Amino acid sequence: MTERMRFTGATRSLLATTALACASFASVAHAQDWFHLETSSGAERLRIAAAPFKPLAPEVSAYKQTFDTTLFADLTAAGLFDMVSPDMAPQTTPGFPAEINLSQWSAPPASAAMVAFGNIKLLNNHLVVSGFLDDAKNAQYPQIFAKQYTEDPSEDSARQIAHRFADEIIFRLGGGIAGIAETKIYYVKLLGPNDKEIYEMDYDGANQHAITHIGTVAMSPRVSPDNSRLAFSALGTYGFQIKMFSLLLNRIINFPSTGGADSSPAWSPSGQQIAFSSARSGPSEIWVSDAEGNIAHKLTSFGRSSSPSWNPKTGAQIAFICGRSGEPQLYTMDADGSGVQRLTDGGYATSPSWSPNGQFLTFAWDRKYGPGAPGGQDIYVMEIATKKWIQLTHDGGRCDFPVWSPDGRHIVYANSPDGRQEHTRIMSMLADGTQKKVLTGPGADMPNWSWK
Amino acid sequence: MSTYATTSDSQDDYFGSGIAGAVILHVVIAATIIAAAFITHLHGDRWGENASSVGAIQASMVSAIPLPNRAAPVANSVLTPDDVSVAAATPPKEATQPPPQPTDILIKSKTAPPTKANTGEQATQLPQSVMQVQNGTATVNVQDRAFGNRYAYYVKIVAAAVNQDWYRQEIDPRASQNKSVTIVFDIQRDGTPSNVRIETRSGSPTLDTSALRALQRVEGFGPLPSGDHITVEYTFDYHQP
Repeated sequence: MTERMRFTGATRSLLATTALACASFASVAHAQDWFHLETSSGAERLRIAAAPFKPLAPEVSAYKQTFDTTLFADLTAAGLFDMVSPDMAPQTTPGFPAEINLSQWSAPPASAAMVAFGNIKLLNNHLVVSGFLDDAKNAQYPQIFAKQYTEDPSEDSARQIAHRFADEIIFRLGGGIAGIAETKIYYVKLLGPNDKEIYEMDYDGANQHAITHIGTVAMSPRVSPDNSRLAFSALGTYGFQIKMFSLLLNRIINFPSTGGADSSPAWSPSGQQIAFSSARSGPSEIWVSDAEGNIAHKLTSFGRSSSPSWNPKTGAQIAFICGRSGEPQLYTMDADGSGVQRLTDGGYATSPSWSPNGQFLTFAWDRKYGPGAPGGQDIYVMEIATKKWIQLTHDGGRCDFPVWSPDGRHIVYANSPDGRQEHTRIMSMLADGTQKKVLTGPGADMPNWSWK
Repeated sequence: MSTYATTSDSQDDYFGSGIAGAVILHVVIAATIIAAAFITHLHGDRWGENASSVGAIQASMVSAIPLPNRAAPVANSVLTPDDVSVAAATPPKEATQPPPQPTDILIKSKTAPPTKANTGEQATQLPQSVMQVQNGTATVNVQDRAFGNRYAYYVKIVAAAVNQDWYRQEIDPRASQNKSVTIVFDIQRDGTPSNVRIETRSGSPTLDTSALRALQRVEGFGPLPSGDHITVEYTFDYHQP
């Protein structure tokens, strides 16, 4: 089946160019003052209304509240849509495609291009949610998709169903990139001066619970690309060593301890290799082993190298931090250790993370580091091909450990408003620095986003 | 002294008749076996003749192969809901559409080439075709009704995605003013653009390159709602006040 269609894009004005990513890169990079720029702001974002779901039984009204709130928050957090405020939406609750009057939703003030609606019921002691997405501007064939979800009745499953429905909408309307509403964030919880455990939460900060119970200091959790294992470093008899936690078996599995301060593991996108920094041969260098910790070999030989991060798109490059020329700087190299390239030209850079499309690196950077140059540590994003960078956080306190989300639209990071470690909390934002949200209370550090 | 020493040597001389008797006995036994075998061969059952009753070599091995049992359907899975989805019946079927007329199919060589960008007059013919984009309006002219009308939202996503990746800084403003370039590309089933080529050049190389690059920046539009692939013709008009 071959169709042929024609588009005509007409440019009438160049005045409103703020939506272009390139434009905001350039203007922020060369600005002296701080500008708050929103990429993809304005009318070209798809306007979506999330109608309150219709409860078909009186028992589901509590779940319905949770569902509606979660769905609206998920679609807002996606960063793709212009959400219709519930105040502007028509005061109706359509439960089925036959009950919706689309012209009511497409007319001002709602002016929605898309409407998500549906119903919630209890069937055979199961929570059954039917969700529909309609194109409000297409009177003839409005329906885009319809899905039904069945779960055990609980608050948590109502939230998970909302996450799944939101991800389906984002996947259909967001250019084929899956949403992140079902993903998890792993982080380090500060329980005491000598007790830091790995915790897990949903991407929106809900459902926080412990993963490890090792009673010592755990650091830098990293999820394997198949979401089955968690590599982290923990303080043990031989100093910091790489530990491996199986999320399927729910226990620590074997990983060899070699002695000599191994830390900051990073998975290759194939899940078959792990890069980490190790001081087993003297100075700290980047090492690579297979996923079981065998066949370890050294990639760098200049000392003071740490925090590797694989290119998740190709698996052919590793970004890392190296202090071979003074203060720690951001470098990239090929996965075999050749082609080392320096990306930052000063300051103090830490903890790089590669974007899923391989185009950008995010990292924490103190550009004015040193005596007499008081600078703050902030989150930056650098385009690798051009080495242009933008600053994403500003005046929010000390920021560190940025990590990309699997959809490439979000960054999660640790922020301490007053710079003290016990006040550090996890925050997330869109990858252009907007929509900053606090996900946890104080005492959470070193986040890592699970894969989709 | 051993008691065997008293045995007489004269007994060794009487074995001749014993040998003769043994030879005769063996010949008789051999002849009996051969005769019995010959008679049995002529009149007896052959192997496998009565196998159905005996069952010794019944060829029924297939049922004995230890294949795993089929998995029982999972009760609480999303993929297998308890009842028939309300939604399943709702999508409009292809059968409801009238069969395509010969006039519906655009044969490009037989139509006159457009002399100008069809921004204005054709937009009124087509519902859901005018969309607001960042710099003015983009008019989507869908010539295949089956896809374009049914999946108008997908067409709008394609238009917006390409428009977003069109960097107008790359264009030389003076050389490209009021010029337009037409790009033709295919969208595969998984939503990735392919086979990007210039249909009509604008005469401004920077405008042509920027349009090509816009398509090359797009990683995907999302999987096609239906069909194997579609071909899209995208016209980039450059106007600067």
